Amino acid sequence: MASGGDPKWQKDAADQNFDYMFKLLIIGNSSVGKTSFLFRYADDSFTSAFVSTVGIDFKVKTVFRHDKRVKLQIWDTAGQERYRTITTAYYRGAMGFILMYDVTNEDSFNSVQDWVTQIKTYSWDNAQVILVGNKCDMEDQRVISFERGRQLADQLGVEFFETSAKENVNVKAVFERLVDIICDKMSESLDADPTLVGGAQKGQRLTDQPQGTPNANCNC
Amino acid sequence: MDFQNRNNTANKFVCPSDRQLALRAKLRAGWSSSKTSEPLRPEEQEAIISVIRRNEEIEIAERQRVGRLVERVEKIKQHAVERGPNCCRLCGDTFGLLRPHRIICEDCRQSVCTKCSVDINIRYHTSERTREIWLCRICSETREMWKKSGAWFFKGLPRYDTPRSASATPTPTPTPGGMASMAGRDWSCPVASFTIHFRFSQGPVQSAKCKVGHSYAMPANESRSLSKLSRTQNSTLVRSPVQSFDPFLFCQFPTIIAQSHRPSECPDYDSISLTNGSAVAQLRRESSSLRRGSVSSSWSISESSGSGNSGTQSQSQSQSQSQSQYTQAQQQHCRDPLLGWLEIAISYRENFHSLDCTMVRARDLPAMDASGLTDPYCKLNIITPEALTKYTRWQRTKTVHKTRNPEFNETLQFVGVEPEELGNSLLYVALFDDDKYGHDFLGAAKVCLSTVHSTSQYRISVPLGVEDQYSSAAEMAQEWPNGKILISLCYNTKRRALVVNVKQCINLMAMDNNGSSDPFVKLQLKPDAHKNKKHKTSVKWRTLNPIYNEEFYFEASPHDLNKEMLIVTVWDKDLGKSNDFLGSLQLGAQSKGERLQQWHDCIRLPDHFHEKWHCLAPDNPAH
Repeated sequence: MASGGDPKWQKDAADQNFDYMFKLLIIGNSSVGKTSFLFRYADDSFTSAFVSTVGIDFKVKTVFRHDKRVKLQIWDTAGQERYRTITTAYYRGAMGFILMYDVTNEDSFNSVQDWVTQIKTYSWDNAQVILVGNKCDMEDQRVISFERGRQLADQLGVEFFETSAKENVNVKAVFERLVDIICDKMSESLDADPTLVGGAQKGQRLTDQPQGTPNANCNC
Repeated sequence: MDFQNRNNTANKFVCPSDRQLALRAKLRAGWSSSKTSEPLRPEEQEAIISVIRRNEEIEIAERQRVGRLVERVEKIKQHAVERGPNCCRLCGDTFGLLRPHRIICEDCRQSVCTKCSVDINIRYHTSERTREIWLCRICSETREMWKKSGAWFFKGLPRYDTPRSASATPTPTPTPGGMASMAGRDWSCPVASFTIHFRFSQGPVQSAKCKVGHSYAMPANESRSLSKLSRTQNSTLVRSPVQSFDPFLFCQFPTIIAQSHRPSECPDYDSISLTNGSAVAQLRRESSSLRRGSVSSSWSISESSGSGNSGTQSQSQSQSQSQSQYTQAQQQHCRDPLLGWLEIAISYRENFHSLDCTMVRARDLPAMDASGLTDPYCKLNIITPEALTKYTRWQRTKTVHKTRNPEFNETLQFVGVEPEELGNSLLYVALFDDDKYGHDFLGAAKVCLSTVHSTSQYRISVPLGVEDQYSSAAEMAQEWPNGKILISLCYNTKRRALVVNVKQCINLMAMDNNGSSDPFVKLQLKPDAHKNKKHKTSVKWRTLNPIYNEEFYFEASPHDLNKEMLIVTVWDKDLGKSNDFLGSLQLGAQSKGERLQQWHDCIRLPDHFHEKWHCLAPDNPAH
């Protein structure tokens, strides 16, 4: 939340000079380092103090990649269960997910499968996912080996990085990779189905509307 | 009664307070949240709402941005000519051997010229794959819009605000937490049901509003364009010289129109000639426009019924769209044949087997030079039932200079036409613009000879149509002893210079004893006060078809180019004696037809190469 009055943030957010806008979402168990990861990337800052994210927050950063200016709206979600209804509401707009676990926390690693289920339930089916094992600087407390992380990523069919928000390891690489993957998906989807572009121009069909996925917020 | 009972027993669900409802509405998190064990504390709510507000600002900016993207594409679409399969979809240039190269767009499969298409190289960053495709400008811009708006991801355009009307669109909203769908479930809450009502009633109204904003899918605009259409038809009727002729001529006129176009190209006229064969043409014209009028009223009905029912609305919308495309197509067909009119008198002398064709006059021919004038002449031939030209040599009239309404009054004779041939042959007349550097097509007409009798002269006025295989045959039959030259022009805005690329020449004259020449090309941009705007290519030895591909820069502002003239001369290099002149070409604002078009294209569309073949004239402009 601290970013609200930040002039740099405001400059980035109001900046209309960009080509693509990608919405990314960082998810994972509580205290795996999602907020730190985002702060490291967006503001290049780090603090060890733990402040639980309230519900949801986002930051905006414009990057230059492959001759295109890409505006990233990166959503930082609360890992806590009690905000789940709020956070899942934002899955739908996200083109990419950073699914994060803590290499020093077995529970967070075991929850990855649950998070994947969450993504499958609430997001668009062509959303891209990267698995990230954070806190790789804390080698002495590590319980999840790089191998286990990579195996899980292979199983899930997603890319894998080990990062450290504190030491600034691989943070930028994760975002750049995710942007690349989304860019490719973009070229591919238009290339594979050109009728998509032409067809939808002829008025929206009702079937084009997002089908009501089973919604957690609805108790009916 | 039962209601109340149930409410009393179902204590599990308690309707939240107004404040909570307002908050949840902003969270888009649904109305009932009994699952949450512990409600959000006020400070948490504040924090989340502030995030949502920040996000809303971004969403609004995003909707406007997408709106601008959409509008941009719409503008390009509006400027597209869409004249049919033989013309570029965007600029309307016709394709052909000496004309722009045809490219089929990968997405819409329509033909476009090289100027109006983009060569797109799709690169994949994660794998080393690339793919190259050609797209027309509309489709490439649409693709860009789909990428930039995120529509590629959501499989449909996200909600957007058009810059002018700033009204929301009826497109699906892939924004986080589609509220409409969630609200739609929760019937138990009165506030929710209100929202549903609001949504449903608002939907069609919004859609109608946004449709007015663009011109291609709008019911309001459709009727307007339709009335415009009928108006233009009326005006063409008034303008056409046919009105001054007697009704007898009118009877022939629709059949001739039907013949002068291939049936597939002109279904409208065909149907006219089929439905009633003897009525006066003007009447038919009116009835056809009446028919169109009735179509328009049926559209408005389908539109209004569509807006009443949101379920069928999108369907009727797409329907009306296809209909509007149909009108556009019709409009094209109505406009296409208006290349002018030709009045002919035909008589047949049976004892001589001679068909006398008098080209009386032509009206409203297309302008070919900057001052809006033309130097027309006619070329005639007879087309046999086998769809072949009967004579290898085309008959031609004299050129009438500097007019779009020439009085030819010239009779040309076809000898050797058997009486039985008349029944199934056609007289083909193609009009060309006479110019030193190539003859440009003006219009063509076919006249059925079955109505020609030996007893009386048959007078007729025919509308001129677009070019076809016979007109190109007539054009090819023209002999150019001096050969042709391929020149590519480009105005380079960075260097502020005209780039002339001399590509190649063909069929040059042989000047040397060995039956060949040693050609080179000289270029000069005139007026050239300081004699420094001159260039020449290298000499290609012993060839009549030299290939140069040499580029030259002439510094000039685009404004200057409107007054300048590029003089191209081809010479045979001779050692020891003066060079022999092989041919010349002039390109500039004073040129005509294709030369003028290339010059204008080059100024109008800078930083693109505009390539055209030109004929070389035998006279040396320096003398």
